[in-house]
Amino acid sequence: MRANSMVAMILAGGRGSRLYDLTKKVAKPAVHFGGKYRIVDFPLSNCANSDIKTVGVLTQYESVLLNSYVARDHYWGLDTNDGGVYVLTPRERDTTNLEVYRGTADAITANIDFLDSIDPEYVLILSGDHIYKMNYAKMLAYHKEMNADATIAVREVSLKEATRFGIMNTNKDDMIVEFEEKPAHPKSNLASMGIYIFTYKTLRKYLVADAKDPDSHHDFGKDIIPSFLNDKKRLVAYRFRGYWKDVGTVDSLWEANMDLLKENAELDLGDPTWKIYTEDVNSLPQFIGKEAKIEHCYVTQGSVIEGTAKNSVIGTNVVIGKGAKVIDSVIQPGAVIGENAVVTRCIVADDVVVPAGAVCGSAKSAEIELVADNEGE
Amino acid sequence: MRALGIISFEDNTANIEGLCDHRPVPAIAVMGRYRIVDFILSNMTNSGINNVQVYCKEKPRNLIEHLGDGSHYNINSKRGKLRILYGEKSFSSDVYNHDVANYMLNMQYIEEDSNPYVVVAPSYFVYPIDFNDVLKQHVESRADVTVLYTNAKEAKTQFLGCDVLKLDKFKTVTGFEKNRGKLKSQTISLEAYVMTKKLFIELVTKAAETSSLYWFKDVLADSVGELNMKGYQVKGYVACFNSLPEYYRISMELIDHKRALGLFKPGWPIYTQTNDSCPTIFSESAKVSNSVVANGAIIDGTVEGSIISRGCTIRKGAEVKNSILLPGAYIGENAKLDHVVVDKYAIVHHIKKLEGTNESPVYVQRRDRI
Repeated sequence: MRANSMVAMILAGGRGSRLYDLTKKVAKPAVHFGGKYRIVDFPLSNCANSDIKTVGVLTQYESVLLNSYVARDHYWGLDTNDGGVYVLTPRERDTTNLEVYRGTADAITANIDFLDSIDPEYVLILSGDHIYKMNYAKMLAYHKEMNADATIAVREVSLKEATRFGIMNTNKDDMIVEFEEKPAHPKSNLASMGIYIFTYKTLRKYLVADAKDPDSHHDFGKDIIPSFLNDKKRLVAYRFRGYWKDVGTVDSLWEANMDLLKENAELDLGDPTWKIYTEDVNSLPQFIGKEAKIEHCYVTQGSVIEGTAKNSVIGTNVVIGKGAKVIDSVIQPGAVIGENAVVTRCIVADDVVVPAGAVCGSAKSAEIELVADNEGE
Repeated sequence: MRALGIISFEDNTANIEGLCDHRPVPAIAVMGRYRIVDFILSNMTNSGINNVQVYCKEKPRNLIEHLGDGSHYNINSKRGKLRILYGEKSFSSDVYNHDVANYMLNMQYIEEDSNPYVVVAPSYFVYPIDFNDVLKQHVESRADVTVLYTNAKEAKTQFLGCDVLKLDKFKTVTGFEKNRGKLKSQTISLEAYVMTKKLFIELVTKAAETSSLYWFKDVLADSVGELNMKGYQVKGYVACFNSLPEYYRISMELIDHKRALGLFKPGWPIYTQTNDSCPTIFSESAKVSNSVVANGAIIDGTVEGSIISRGCTIRKGAEVKNSILLPGAYIGENAKLDHVVVDKYAIVHHIKKLEGTNESPVYVQRRDRI
C-alpha cells in the first residue's frame, strides 16, 4: 500500500455545547476522558494503529489548545517522514475572505487543496468526539472488496435507540438504500457512527457541486450521503462490533468513563496490541495514603489519594484529601477534592478545587452533576 | 548553561545485589515508573545542559533503549545531543574497565564539544540540584574543581563505601577518605564535579598516565593541595542507591508523599520514557494503603507500604506488604509477600509466602517463576 493511499480527516471543530462548562474553554475533542486521555486521542491512536500516515484535523471552536495538542504528532507516533498531523483551521485566501466552516462537508471542501496535495485514493472521515477502538485498515479492505464509492461504519442498536441516530436502511447485501436522520419509526437498527470512507475522486466531485448549492447545509449526513444515494452510487454499510460511544453530553461522558470500570470492560485500554496514546505529562506515580480506601476505581498517575474513592475514575494529578469521599464520580485532571468533602455522581471539571467539607451531587439524583469553576477566569 | 554534562558510572563498591545482574545501576527501575538515571539526567536538562554523555560500564542494551535520543528528557534534538558511550573494545580484565578508561576511549567526543565547562556526576546518587547554582559558586570562588557533597546524618548505615570529603573552614577540600561506617555524621562526596573542560581532560589524561587502574576520583585525591578544590553543599534530600538494602530502604522512605516531594520538587520535573500504559484498575476487592502505584497495573488484592510499578498484576487474596514490585511482576492468588523485591516480569504464583527483613529483603529474579 502506498504510504498515503488513505488520508484521515478528523472533524474536531464542534463546541459540544451539551458538555456545558467542560467545553467553555476547550473544544470537545480536547476534553479529558478515562483519567489521562483526551477524546481526540481515540481517533488519532486508531489512525496510528491502522497504519494511516497522514491525518488532517479540522478545528474551529476554541482551538488554541486543541491545535497545539494535535500538532504534536509524535504523541501518537504519527511523526513519520511521509506523514504527520495537519491542523486545518478556517483560513483567508487569495480569492475569499476568512470563512468559518459551514458544515462537516464544507470543512472538507475548504481543504480540497490540502487533499489534492497529498493525492490520496481514499479519504477517511472521522469525528473527534467518539470513544472507540477500530481498525480502519479493515474497513478500507471492505470498501475495496465491495467496490464501493462510500462505506459507512454502522453498529447495531435497539430500535428504541435508533430514533436518536442517523439510520441506514440496507438491502440484503448491506448496500445502503436509504438514510434517515433520527427516524420516529426506524426501519432498520443500523446506526451510522459518523465514520466514512470515500473514494476520493468521487467525493471530490460531490464536494465541489455541494459548495455551489445554495440550499445545501454542507453536511455529510444531510447533503452528501443523500446525493450519493440519489445518483445510485455504491454505498456500503460496514458493520462494527465493539465498544463505541458518543460522549456529547455530561451523562454520556460519565457513562463512558464508568464503562471502564466494568469487569472485562468492552473498551479495554490495557490491550497492548491497540494502545491509546496520549500526552506524557511527567507526573509522579500515584501516592496512596495510609488511610486511603480505593475500591473499584480507575486511577492514573500523579494522583494523591488520602481519602476514599469508590466506583470512580480519578484523573492525572488529582488530589483527594483526608476524609474526603468520591463515589460514582469522574474527577478530571488537576482537580482537588478538599478534606472531608463528599462528591457523589459528579463530573468534577479540570483543575476545580472542591473546598473542604463541601457536598457535591447526590446518590439519588437522576442526572450527573457537573462541578465546574464558574468564576469564568 | 555552558557545560557538557557527563554522567559517570559508579565503581564496584555500588552493587544492588540481584538487580545488578541484569542491568547497570542507572537502568534499575525505581519508584514505579523511573530508572535511577532519570534523576541526574533530569537535573542536567532542567539546568539547561543540552549536551549530555552517559557513560555505561557494561550491559548497555537496557540503557540505550530507555534513554533513546534523549528527546523525552527535554534535550533539543537539533541544538543538543544525548550520547550513550561505552568502551567499544573489550577490556582484558574488569579492573581496567573504569571511568577514566572510558573517557580516554571516547576522548574525541569530549574534545569536540564546544562548552567551556563540564559537570560530571554519577547516577546512583539521587537529589534535586540546579547546576547553574553550582557553576555560579564555582566561578565566584575561583576554584579549579568544585565537589558536591552532602552532610549525611546516618553515615553508619548509609553511604557506606562512598568518599568522605575532608574540608577546612573555607570549604576547601583537604583530603578524601572512605566512609567505613564508623561515624554517624559524615561529609559525603556525591562524586559530582564542576570544572573547566580543559582541566577535566588534563586530569583524565594524567590519571591514565599515572596508572591504568586509576579512577577519576583517584587522580582528584592525588591533586589535593595542587588544585584549588572547593566543596558545594547539597542541602535537602540526597540518597545513594549502592546496595540492595539501601535500594529497599530509600524506596520505602519515598512512599511518604511529603518525603518524596524532597526529591520530586515542584517545577523540577523528573523525566522518563513513557510507556503509554492505561490507568491502574483497583477492583472491588482491592485494599491499597500507604503505597506508590504506577499506571497499567491491575490490583485485586491487598497492598500495604509497597511500590507497585507499571503493568503489575496482584490477584485476589494476594497480600503485598513492605515490598517493591518492578514493572510487569505478577502476584498470583493468595500469595503473601512481605519485605520482597520482585524483579521485572517475575511470576509469584506457586508459593504461598515470602518474607524478608529490612536488612535483607528477599529478591525474586527477573522473569523468574516461583
